[in-house]
Amino acid sequence: MVSVFQKYSFKDLIKKLFAEYSYWLSFILLLILAVSVNTNFLRWSNIINIFVQTATTGIIALGMSMVISAGQIDISVGAQVAIISGLGIVVLNFTNSIWLMFAFCLLLGTLIGSLNGLMVAKGNMPAMIATLAMQSICRSLINQWGQGGPFTVSNTNFDTFRLVAAGSIRIFGFKIPYPMIMFIVFSILFGIIMRQTKLGKHIYAVGSNTNSARLAGVNVKGIQIIVFMITGLLCGFSGWLYASRVMAVAAASAGNAYEMEVIAAVAIGGTSMTGGRGKIIGTFLGALMFKIINNILTMADVPTFLNGAISGAIIIVAVLLQNVQNKSK
Amino acid sequence: MLIEMKGIVKDFGPVRAVDHIDFTVNSGEIIGLLGENGAGKTTLMNVLAGTFPPDEGEIFIDGNKVQISNALHAMRMGIRFIHQEISLCNDLRVFENIFLSEELLRKNGLLNKKEMINRCLKVFERMQVQIDPNAIVSTLQPAERQLVEIARALLFKCDLIIMDEPSTALATKEIKRLFDIMRQLKTEGVSFIYISHKMPELFEICDIYYIMRDGKLVAHGKFAEIDEQQATELMIGRHLADEEFLNKPYYGQEEVILSVKNLSGKSFFDISFDLHKGEILAITGLQGSGRDLLADALFGAEEYTGTLQVKNHTLKQGSTIIDHMKNGIGMVPRSRKERGIHNDLSIYDNISMAFFNTKFKRLLIDSRREKERFLRQQKALSIKTDQPKNPITSLSGGNQQKVILGRWLEADADILLFDNPTQGIDVGTKFEIYRLIIELAKNGKAIIVFSSEFPEIHKVADSCIVLYKGRINARLNRDEITEMSIMYYSTGANLEAVKNG
Repeated sequence: MVSVFQKYSFKDLIKKLFAEYSYWLSFILLLILAVSVNTNFLRWSNIINIFVQTATTGIIALGMSMVISAGQIDISVGAQVAIISGLGIVVLNFTNSIWLMFAFCLLLGTLIGSLNGLMVAKGNMPAMIATLAMQSICRSLINQWGQGGPFTVSNTNFDTFRLVAAGSIRIFGFKIPYPMIMFIVFSILFGIIMRQTKLGKHIYAVGSNTNSARLAGVNVKGIQIIVFMITGLLCGFSGWLYASRVMAVAAASAGNAYEMEVIAAVAIGGTSMTGGRGKIIGTFLGALMFKIINNILTMADVPTFLNGAISGAIIIVAVLLQNVQNKSK
Repeated sequence: MLIEMKGIVKDFGPVRAVDHIDFTVNSGEIIGLLGENGAGKTTLMNVLAGTFPPDEGEIFIDGNKVQISNALHAMRMGIRFIHQEISLCNDLRVFENIFLSEELLRKNGLLNKKEMINRCLKVFERMQVQIDPNAIVSTLQPAERQLVEIARALLFKCDLIIMDEPSTALATKEIKRLFDIMRQLKTEGVSFIYISHKMPELFEICDIYYIMRDGKLVAHGKFAEIDEQQATELMIGRHLADEEFLNKPYYGQEEVILSVKNLSGKSFFDISFDLHKGEILAITGLQGSGRDLLADALFGAEEYTGTLQVKNHTLKQGSTIIDHMKNGIGMVPRSRKERGIHNDLSIYDNISMAFFNTKFKRLLIDSRREKERFLRQQKALSIKTDQPKNPITSLSGGNQQKVILGRWLEADADILLFDNPTQGIDVGTKFEIYRLIIELAKNGKAIIVFSSEFPEIHKVADSCIVLYKGRINARLNRDEITEMSIMYYSTGANLEAVKNG
């Protein structure tokens, strides 16, 4: 049975490269562009800066990858981060324990995610509507709680809690910030889950064809619930990290437009917006690319107000390119 | 109007559904289009009605070459296609459906409901049917929906109406009325292409026959010049390969592996039968006989009451697909594209999908074991591919079906349900699948084949249950399985006779 392990011909290889690893190509092109715009781009301080900036949204994007691969969408992630980080700070100030706050954040995120999942799977609601409603509820509740003022970390906890986002370790003289480690570790973990576990295969199966999945014995509703739950959990983690980065969470603006950034990262990363196909490495690079684009634009003095327009345009272009690729297959 | 199709070819992947067909329709002619399921009749008609373009060939209307690019375009040229599956919007009203995309407007641009409803009433009157144009379609009976489809075709000026098995959902009285309407329209110069399996109907209403087999035109002529027997023979053909299956031995063993008792569901009632190890049972029935839902119910994908006794376990109401799988039941579902394959996933993953659900106990998936599973099934089922990492859609339909079958073999299913297993599969591979089914029975698997194709049942089945209106109407032994007997019992002819006698 030698034929099974036949090597790809050169033409096949090129085709495969374009079809399946296009995110690597765009990543490399973007790097070249970034270096030509900003000669300091490849300095270690800039690289870790990009990683730290990416971490909060990048971690959520891993969950969003799952949600989208399962054929769903979650647009409540930004508001989730707001309510989780805001209330997280309340818990921190009350208990003076980073870890109790940590547990609280994960718990609250998982709870919100489960509600999203239940609405979609058991309530048969379109994910767009269910999570839109959840977005509105979360944002409104945290606004009401904050009454316009920010949630500020008390002086007692200031120095310890700050380290979550600002701390770092040194390896071979390289400073590696905690958020960078978290982002990379989570990405590897999710890469393994999606590639090499039953859960991952089931997520792709459900996103690819719900009927076939059901008839192969996949617990479709269970999968739908769990992808939202995991995304909620990651929002919890990310909310905790976010709180440490800003130290004062403004209810109205915290996590604003995160859903856009996160979905954009998944889209650039080559995950099919209709579900069934995608790679975590793509999302990982996609999240980085999104920040690199921002980085380039800042260098080019593009006003930050235009960020939304740019992330919208990125999603459109990325998804259109996917469609073109799918057609040419 | 004269419509000519010349040298029409249509391929679906590796399957040539329509193979160089010439077809002529004169005005005021009723043409009966005959052929077994999968002979390419519907595909040919879809080409004519603009559903999709032909890969080769030309269409002429009154001598002018035309390109029929979509259904609306075909309608404008006077060609109407009434599909086999009713294609009405269930949430809209009857008149809204009838005028869909051709709504009548008032001068101010708003809908002219009154006029539309009036015209509907006129058509219904002509058809002598009583349907409220204001009714929501979902509240209508299936037969009424079919009549609405026909009304939609009649309402507008058209020269050719194509009907794909319109009588399946209609009662005898309604069919008679339909024929009256057809005869009247014929005198007005309207032509029909009538697709049906029912010989008496065809001989009653049609003037000309066209018979297709395996995508090719095998004969055409006047109905007056042939009889039912000849038509059937032309349709079925006498394949040499048939003989291979003629003397298939019975591999059934003593042990009853599945015992179904009083199974009832939405559209099937009080189904009971036993299945032995190594036995191949066919279950057939016309559309609407409950065959599809029964297949799903046996797999736990559809709710049912009653019990399934598998070895020592009892499956009953509320048992899930997983419960059924754990008891060794596997299903190769009908409509492979929609219900069988995961088109984004690799061949590896497609083959392992059921295995993951019942047998897989580890944390991480080992790609070496995935490969082993694939190689084992590739060898057993001779799946033709050299790149199992590619998406399953890179395979032909028959090989895809083998992958789905392999899925259940890897999950160690003892009872295999094949629901319409050779749908959209070319003839050569069909035979391969039949051989596989028989081979599996020989190895002790118990098999149920749900099928509407007589040649298929004839080749593989040890016995055949014929459903009529959701109930078992007959259980035929291998030597009793003939096209006649299956047609007889699946149309309920025996019951009608009792009623009338």
